Parts: sequence; structure tokens; C-alpha cells
Amino acid sequence: MTPVEAADWKLLTDLIQARFGLMFDGVRCEILEGRLRPRLRALHLDSLREYYLYLRFHPERELEFGRLASLVTNNETYFFRETHQFDILVRHVLPPLKPSLRERPFKILCAGCSSGEEAYSMVIAFQNAGLELAGITWEIDAHDVDPVRVARGRDAVYEPTSLRACDADVRRKYFTPSGGRYQLKERHRKGVRFFETNLAAPNGALGWAVFDAILCRNMLIYFGAPAFDNLIGLFARSLRPGGYLLLGHSESLLDRQTPFVPVSFEGGVVYRKGMDAA
Amino acid sequence: MSAFSETAAAGRLAALDALLEGVDRERAILAALEDEAPVVRDRAIRLATRYIEPQVLGELVADETNATLRNAAITALERQGPYAVPHLESMLARPEEDVVMFALQMLARIGEPSVVRTVAPLVRHSNPNIAQSAVEALGQLRSAQAVPTLLDLLHGDLWLQLAAIEALGEIGDPAAVPPLVALVPDSIVAEPAVAALQRIAAPESLEALIDRLVSVRERSLRDGLLLAIGVVIDLHPNPGPVAIQYSGRLELDPSRDLLGYLEEILQWDPGLAAPDAGGEPRDGDSLLRAATALTVVAGLRSMYPPVLIRIATDESATWAVTLFRRNPGELSPALRQLLRHHDLRVRRGALLAGSFQAEDLPLVLEHLEDADWLIRAAACRALGVIGNPDTVPLLVHRLREGVEVERAAAVDALAEFPAESLGALEPCLGPDAAEPVQAAALEVLGKRKMQRFDAQKMERFEARIIELARHPSPEVRGPAIRAAAQLPGSRAEVALIRALADRHEPIQVEALELLVKRDHGKTVSTLAALLGADDSLRYHVIRALGHLRAAEAAPKLESLYGECGPYEQVEIVLALIRIAAPGVAQFLRTRLSESEPEIRRVAARGLATLADRTQLPLLLALAADSDWCVRDEAARGLGLLGMAECREPLLILARDVEPVVASTARAALVLLRTVAPAAA
Repeated sequence: MTPVEAADWKLLTDLIQARFGLMFDGVRCEILEGRLRPRLRALHLDSLREYYLYLRFHPERELEFGRLASLVTNNETYFFRETHQFDILVRHVLPPLKPSLRERPFKILCAGCSSGEEAYSMVIAFQNAGLELAGITWEIDAHDVDPVRVARGRDAVYEPTSLRACDADVRRKYFTPSGGRYQLKERHRKGVRFFETNLAAPNGALGWAVFDAILCRNMLIYFGAPAFDNLIGLFARSLRPGGYLLLGHSESLLDRQTPFVPVSFEGGVVYRKGMDAA
Repeated sequence: MSAFSETAAAGRLAALDALLEGVDRERAILAALEDEAPVVRDRAIRLATRYIEPQVLGELVADETNATLRNAAITALERQGPYAVPHLESMLARPEEDVVMFALQMLARIGEPSVVRTVAPLVRHSNPNIAQSAVEALGQLRSAQAVPTLLDLLHGDLWLQLAAIEALGEIGDPAAVPPLVALVPDSIVAEPAVAALQRIAAPESLEALIDRLVSVRERSLRDGLLLAIGVVIDLHPNPGPVAIQYSGRLELDPSRDLLGYLEEILQWDPGLAAPDAGGEPRDGDSLLRAATALTVVAGLRSMYPPVLIRIATDESATWAVTLFRRNPGELSPALRQLLRHHDLRVRRGALLAGSFQAEDLPLVLEHLEDADWLIRAAACRALGVIGNPDTVPLLVHRLREGVEVERAAAVDALAEFPAESLGALEPCLGPDAAEPVQAAALEVLGKRKMQRFDAQKMERFEARIIELARHPSPEVRGPAIRAAAQLPGSRAEVALIRALADRHEPIQVEALELLVKRDHGKTVSTLAALLGADDSLRYHVIRALGHLRAAEAAPKLESLYGECGPYEQVEIVLALIRIAAPGVAQFLRTRLSESEPEIRRVAARGLATLADRTQLPLLLALAADSDWCVRDEAARGLGLLGMAECREPLLILARDVEPVVASTARAALVLLRTVAPAAA
């Protein structure tokens, strides 16, 4: 591959930002370059400019965008990561909704779900909190832009790295070993649906006032300002009045103008949509 | 919410752009520099870079009551680059401490070498913060001229001392090595001094660094020294003689203190790093590489087993094999013992890393019959290193009978032998051989020219290879065409041309690439004939003609242009630029009037690349284009032209609203200084 010129980077990263909302600079560019190199070899291309032109014009560019989605997203996740937010859902978000949840499921959106570790961890948290015994059902819509990850989520078979926070007992309890990997037991997959979705696409729609809570953790930090604002707008539209948005610990809406107000539960900050917000 | 705040921001952006041509431009830009929306501020900074004079921006830097404006002005001044330098230099004389410090930081980041003479005297400034900023700036400017001044500071005020050490590291002048070494290990500045020595990475520091490593006990200093040693070894032309002096001293140390430290690092397992671990993590991978480098070049035999285990078990550890191959010194005498080691991973590692000689053959052959297939595979690779033609039948046997890993190792090993010794492969190509065996044998032949077979054998090989190029399985056809490409003569050429129509697209593309590499004279006419077929291969054919710089195909490519979609059109333009046939400039000029921006951009790239002095007016026009990418090409082209008339337009482009263009223009100005000092 020829050395990367700044203009080539700009063209490609602008295209990626327009398509996926993701921003690349500094070290993230270096990481991306390393990930793209095998794709360039496979496509017999010599430079990032040629790859950019491929994405702009090639008859099979949509297929390549699908592959690119796997390369530009950070799929770092594992079971039972930052579980305190599941506790917040169970102890603070859910109780005021209990009367209405007799007639409808508790609806959660898991945005940027990767291969489903977070969504399934939430199911296990709900089960351990006795929601089933209380007659409460849930629907977790797990969305990700990477078709490969979404397929893995549907299969629910995981590498040991996804279980790095699980000790032997936890592994035994929730998983069945399968050829060096781990199959999540069927009962812990309850209520999870996967969707291949580019949430950063213009005019994205998830439904109007559908969800009680949205988890979008460690995704917004990679978004450029316009995509960030679009996504927060999308979340605001799809949350019910009074619904909650839960972000990663390094993400914040505090310095932005949004219809969300910060609320502190158990030392963690989550964001609540106003009751009268559209 | 964000929906309406977006709309409002978009409105302010539009208003800002609308004022650009009017008398209120400066006021609008300055107001937008402190807009609440980042997107508006970013646009305003770009515009300020282009339209606001450094004096005005400098006053905003001096306004300590408005941090937003100050930050925006600093960014804009930095982006103005050389244009802002004279004013920034004048700011160094201002009375406000923070203004002088900001000016120093901006000058350092702009990186204009000539400012060293203005900055250097400030290291003696009575204000210690300004003095420290000046030292840091000299480091960032990487000026060797500043080294004596910085060396003088190594024994003064602690903060200046620390800044000077770091600056010396950034400058990288070996003259700083002895004074920096003298600061290790007793000084409180030992760790920064070691970090600076690592950055300098001068070969002459190796002995002193190992010497200090042997004597220190503190873990963090040891880590720093080891990392520095790793980098120095990597860049040293011949580190062995220096490092080997320490071998005996380290191996015979009864406390095994340092060896214990090295062993722990050599056994580091990246998989055991805890998720979300807090604290300052050690750079495990770099330490591992440094410890391995020291082990290998110093010949620390007791440390070989963990290194060889890594080679045997971690496919990505080829860097360690390379280290042993570059510095075989002490491994070769130890090989006999290591190949009898009780741990089969050590034996395997030794087989993979050893630089075996002819006399080692019996030792390696013993392992070719080992019960473990990984050892047998490693032995195959070792036979490839020895290269004794008598072992070819043994390797062919492994290729036929071995498991997949052995077969792959046998292929790589056989590829090390000259073609004339590979006659034993013939049965592997026969109809009775299994497909994977046929494919493996073809892979070997695809890596070697085959002219040196005797005529009869050549005919048999050729006939069979060409037959296999039509095999039903693409797993065989692929390596068959690679082998065919190594055959002389027209039959092989025909096989490759036929493969251009293979039903498996990757084979088509590979056949095309092989034809281009082989280029026996008829390739261009063959490829030009394929331009008539409107299929998926045509794109690759266009590219191939470009790579062949096929001037005779240029007219056909030009005439094809109007019949293609944009994807092939872009490739045609790129191919014609590579070919650089007479008249291409006119073709490219015509493309500039097209509506598709990418076509205009590649045309501009071609014009910038091929420009001569007559194209200056065109490049000047492109420098004012509305598309940043076209302006970027213009900046590149003006730099390549190297004419005095290019300096002024480049200075304007160096303040372009698009930072990429500004950066290209600055690089072009540097080029202008290099190729045409008079012009600069």
C-alpha cells in the first residue's frame, strides 16, 4: 500500500462519518489503517484513495460498506460489563412503570449492541431480579450496524474473551460449552431481538415514543458532532415521555442543549426525557 | 432540543457564509468564533485562518477574559502557519506572561525552523514559566542548533532541567548521549533521561544503557532502561559485540536478580491483562520485545527457553525469529542442547529460529520423524534453511503424506530450493494425487522460475501444469496459473490469457496481474483487445494497462471513456495519468469541466503530477477552485513546479479554510525552499 496522504484520509473518513456517523483521527486512524490493509489487498487496491473511489462508485459498494461496518466499529464488549446500570433499570427506572407493565412489556433499546453481550446480560439481570415472577415481561431491541456481529448475537455463541468477567460458576450457570466456545442457554435469550441498523443514517427511525429506556454505551464518543446531535434527537423521539437514556461512563450530555435532564441514581448519572417533551 | 438547535446552528452557518463577500465579513467571523455550537465555531476558525490577519487574532489571544475566543484564535493562528510566524515572533516581546507562552507554543507547533534564533534566547528569561516554554519549544522544533544551549541547562533549575532532557530526546542528537547517561541512575531525573536516551536511540548509548540496567534495582527505571535498550538494539547495525560482553556477568550472577526480571517479562501473557484495569499499565508488549532483543544479542542462554516457547506457540512472534536470524551468534552453539530439551515447545522454537548449517542436517532429520506433527513441520522449515537438495524427496514425502501444517511447512521449505532440484514433485501433479497435494506442489512451482529444468522434464511439467490450469476446482486452478506464470513460452501465456475468462473472478484478476508482471510483449495487445468486453474484468484491464504504462492503449482508453460508467471512467483517467501519453493534459483539462466531483479531482491530480511550467496559469486557477480537493492538488502541483511565482499562491493556500490544503501548501513551501532556494 502506498503511504497515506492527508487528503485521502479526509476523503475516506468524511465518507465514513457521513455513512456511519463515526469520527476518526489520530491513533484511531492508525488502527483503521491497519484494519483496512487486508481489505485493500483482497480488492487488489494500492491506496486509500482507490478504496475511497471503490466505495463511491463500485457496483458492489453496498456490500463493501457492510464489510467496512465491521472494520470501523469498536466491538469491544463482554458479559456483565458495567452492571450497575442494569441495577438502576431494575431499582429506579422500572418501579414507577409497574402498573402499566401489567399490560405491556418493558421496552428497552440497546443501541450499538455488537454481538449481544450487553442485551443478554440485561436479560440475566432482569431474571435475577425476579421480574418474571412479578409477571413483568420485556422486549430488548438490539441494534448494530455490523451484520457479522448481529448474526453472532442471534447465534449467541461466544468466545472466551466475551466471558472474561465470568468466573467458572457463572459460566456453568448461564452457558453451555461448545467446542471451545460458549453457547448462552436458551432461557437467557428471552425477549431479545436483533436488528442490523445504521442508527447514524439520515432520517433514521426507531418508532415514536416506543421505549422506556435506551442503553447507548461507549458509542457516542466516536461520533462527530452532527451525528451525535442526530442520534440524540432520534433517541429523544423514540423514548416515551419520562423515559431514560443511559450512556457510557465517559459520555455526557451535560454541556449540550437536549430535552434530557441529568438524574443521579446510586452515584451514576442517567438522562431523563421530560414528561412533556415531544 | 437537538433538532431545533441543529436547525438554529444551520441557520447561523448559512448566515455566516452569506456575509463572506460583504464588508461585515470580519465582524461575522469573530462573532462566530464564540458561537455556542461547535459546528459553527469550527467553520469560523477555518474562515478566520483564511481571512483574519494575525494581528487581530493575536489580540484575541491576549484577551484572558474570553477563553473560547482565545482558544479559537490560537487554533486559527497555528493553521495560518508561516503567514502568522512574523507576528507570533513579535508577540514574544509582549509583557504578558501567558501571551508569550502561547506564542511559543504556537511557534513550536507551526515548526518553522528559522524561529529557533528568536526562541533560543528566551531559555534564559527571568520568568521561569517562559523559560520552560522556550525549552519545550526548542524540543518541538527539533533543532540541532539548540543542543548546546539545552545541554547547559542540564545542571540548573530542576524544571528547566526536566524540560531540557525531554527536548534533547525530541531533537535526537547523539551529542546529548554522554550527559544524559551521566544522569542515570542516581539522579532524580534518571527516568526522563532514560526516556530521552530511548528517543535518541544512538548506537553509542547501548553499552552505557546495559551497564546501568545491570546496576539498578528500581523496577520503573529498569523498565525504562530495558525499553531504551530494545529500541537501540533495533536500530544498531551490529549490537552483538557490545551486548555479548555482559553475557557472562549476567549468567554467573548468583542472585539471578536481573535474569529473574527478564524471565518474568519473557513469560508475559497479554491474555492475562485484566479488563478495565486501573492505574498506569506497563507496556507489556514493548518490554517483551526489548527483553527478547537483549536475550538474543547478549546470548543469554538460560533465557532461550521462554523465547523459543513463544516462537513455538505464538504465530505473531515472527519478529523473534527475525531477531535470531539477524543475530545467530550464541544460538547456533546452543542448538544441539536445545533440540534435546524436554519441553517440545522449546525444540519446536529452536527448529523455527535456528540458522542451521549443512553440518546440522542429521540433527534436524531426527526431528522429521518426531511423533508430534508440529515438530515435524518445524523440521521441514529447518530443512528449507539448510537447503540440501538431497532432502527434497523427504520434504515431498511430507507434502504428500503429512497433515495440513506439515504440508504448508513443506511447501515453504521446498520454495527455498532451486527449481532444478524439484523434479521429485512430479508425482504430486499426477492425476492420482489428491487435490490438496496437487495444489501444494503447484504452490511450490509458482514460487520459482522453471527455465532450468531439462527439456524433457520441462515438457512434462508444462503439460501437466497447463492441464491443471483447467481443473474443475478453483483450489487447484489458482496455484496452477501461478505455476504457469513461471513457465517460459507461449503455451503458458495462452493458459494465463484463458484464465482471464475463468468463471471464478479472483482467478481472473490474478491471471491479469500475472500477465502484467510477466509482460512478454504481447500482454498490452491482449489486454487492449479485452477493453471491448463490457464485463467486470474490464475495470481490472484498464488498471493493468495503466500499470503497464501502455502508451499504445491510450487512444483506445480515451475513446472508451464516453461509453463507461463513473467507476471505469475514474480508472481510465488514472490509467492515462500513469501512462502520461502525449496529449493527456488536454484530456485532463476537459475532465475539469465535468459535473462529477471525483472525475474533476483525479483530473486535477493528474494535471498537478504532470504539470510543467506552461501549466502554471492552470494550477493558479485550480488553487482558487471551490472544491478543497482540487485546491489540495493545486498546492501539491505548485510545490512540484518549484517556481518562484508559486510562493505567493502557496502562502494563500497555506491559510486555506480546509486544514488538509493548508498542510499540503506548507509542505509545498518547504519543497520550494529545497528545490529553489532563490524562489523562497
